[in-house]
Amino acid sequence: MSESKPQVSRRDFLKKMASGSAVAATATAAPGMAISAARPKRYAMVIDTRRCIGCQACSVACKTENDVPLGETRSWVEYIEKGEFPNVRRSFLPRLCNQCEKPQCVAVCPTGATYKRQEDGIVVVDSDVCIGCKYCIQACPYGMRYINPKTGTADKCDFCLHRVQNGIVPSCVNTCQGRARIFGDLNDPDSEVSKLIATNATTVLRPEMGTEPMVYYIDADHADQRDAAKQGIYIRIETNRRQKERV
Amino acid sequence: MHELTWGLPVILYLFLGGMGAGAGAVSGSIFLRSGGGDLAGSSFRFARWGAMLAPVLVIIGTGMIVFELGSFQAGNYFRFINLFLTINLSPMSIGSWVLALFILVSLAYAYTFINRNAHPGDELQKLRKMLAWAMVPLGVGVALYTGILLGAMPARPFWNSPILAMLFLVSALSTGVAGILLVRALFGRKQVISKESFEHHSYILGSSDMLLIGLEILVIFLFVMYAHLTIGNVEAAVSVIMGGELTTLFWLGFVVLGLLLPAAIEMKYVMPTLLYQKEYSIPRTMEIVICALVLVGGFMLRYIVVIAGQVTGPTGI
Repeated sequence: MSESKPQVSRRDFLKKMASGSAVAATATAAPGMAISAARPKRYAMVIDTRRCIGCQACSVACKTENDVPLGETRSWVEYIEKGEFPNVRRSFLPRLCNQCEKPQCVAVCPTGATYKRQEDGIVVVDSDVCIGCKYCIQACPYGMRYINPKTGTADKCDFCLHRVQNGIVPSCVNTCQGRARIFGDLNDPDSEVSKLIATNATTVLRPEMGTEPMVYYIDADHADQRDAAKQGIYIRIETNRRQKERV
Repeated sequence: MHELTWGLPVILYLFLGGMGAGAGAVSGSIFLRSGGGDLAGSSFRFARWGAMLAPVLVIIGTGMIVFELGSFQAGNYFRFINLFLTINLSPMSIGSWVLALFILVSLAYAYTFINRNAHPGDELQKLRKMLAWAMVPLGVGVALYTGILLGAMPARPFWNSPILAMLFLVSALSTGVAGILLVRALFGRKQVISKESFEHHSYILGSSDMLLIGLEILVIFLFVMYAHLTIGNVEAAVSVIMGGELTTLFWLGFVVLGLLLPAAIEMKYVMPTLLYQKEYSIPRTMEIVICALVLVGGFMLRYIVVIAGQVTGPTGI
């Protein structure tokens, strides 16, 4: 569990930048450490699927915390069933917005309503600007976005920005029974996420899309119905949301 | 169960917007090619049909996407104004500006033709010429952007190819020509000045349409060939028209009904004139049938592409 860190406000950051301490900090950082001078924080999540028991506590916590409308989900757990008795496997794949380094949704937004925050890299939607054209919904390779029926604007997971800004972890991380979801700052080499990524083989979802996700998985089953069909393996994937198929 | 994020309103917009943009570009080009319409005759009336069609079709189409906006459905009727408070590199942002400009210019252009007595060399001629010059690039721009808009997303492998915008452009021009031909065949015969020049212009339009359909067949051939040769995500996506659930609709509804059939009929009438300078004559019903087929094909194309892009996606997770 990552410890809550005092928040750096934008003003503090600018002051630091002005005094050159950020540059100095970058210069003195260990070589090879990917530390971004452009962003004071780079929030990321590591999902250790070995610890996930598929209890859906994160899905429920998320819906409660963010008042997600009925039929929609910001974060959920997929159940992946494979094989035929006796050679079977059931695994769980927690899902949420990947807060990509190169977000497709941001690239296509015509109004600038969705953007990647300069201070921490979280991709957010400004529901006062969004017109609900659904372009971002089409552009997201992960199917993470939905139209909020109340506001008519695009909506998605934002790492619980309102919590993170106040130094506490996202709701799903807070509630996870098995500690499968770990949240933290990749710019801090001592954070739990940095250590986990350094010491584990991690994968991201759909890497060929070039989005550079900030959500890393340990031991995730990347099985897909279509891939399995080619190999003649029985596979069933439950996504627990309205759109029942991964597209 | 797949969800269709973009449904019939968007499909109709792509179709009507493309057709209107095509009609506008074709109208401007016809008008300018006859020396700015200074030569009296039916090329002026040709341009007139196109000028009348363009804004009407594009405005109807644009209205459809405004109704489809989530913000509009949630009661923020004027939220779409946000599109015009900013400009960025999103195809939709640039496209909205081009579309808005096209609507304004095409309305002004149509206004110069609105008077029944409008003729080459009247007091609006100078303005008409200027606007016609703007209509061609704007029409091409609107038609192109509809394809770029869909093609800009790696997450949609079916759409994500540079050929899609080309396909939409050629299809828009061909449906634009077909639209002009159709209204002319339906309402234009009454004002025939000379039968000869009327037939001559029918020939010009018919042969242009044939050329455009030929180009469209080529572009579709490239698209299908590429689909056949590719692997991975794109292969999984295009399989929807190569044996998947939209195969019949694509091959019969679009390729045969919307391309090959009108091209074959048009060739039958155009070729004698093209090759042996025979007199061109086509029965009015045939003209109407061809145009209807081209328009159905244009709609089918948008329908299949928009649906196919959304029911397929990248594979592997």
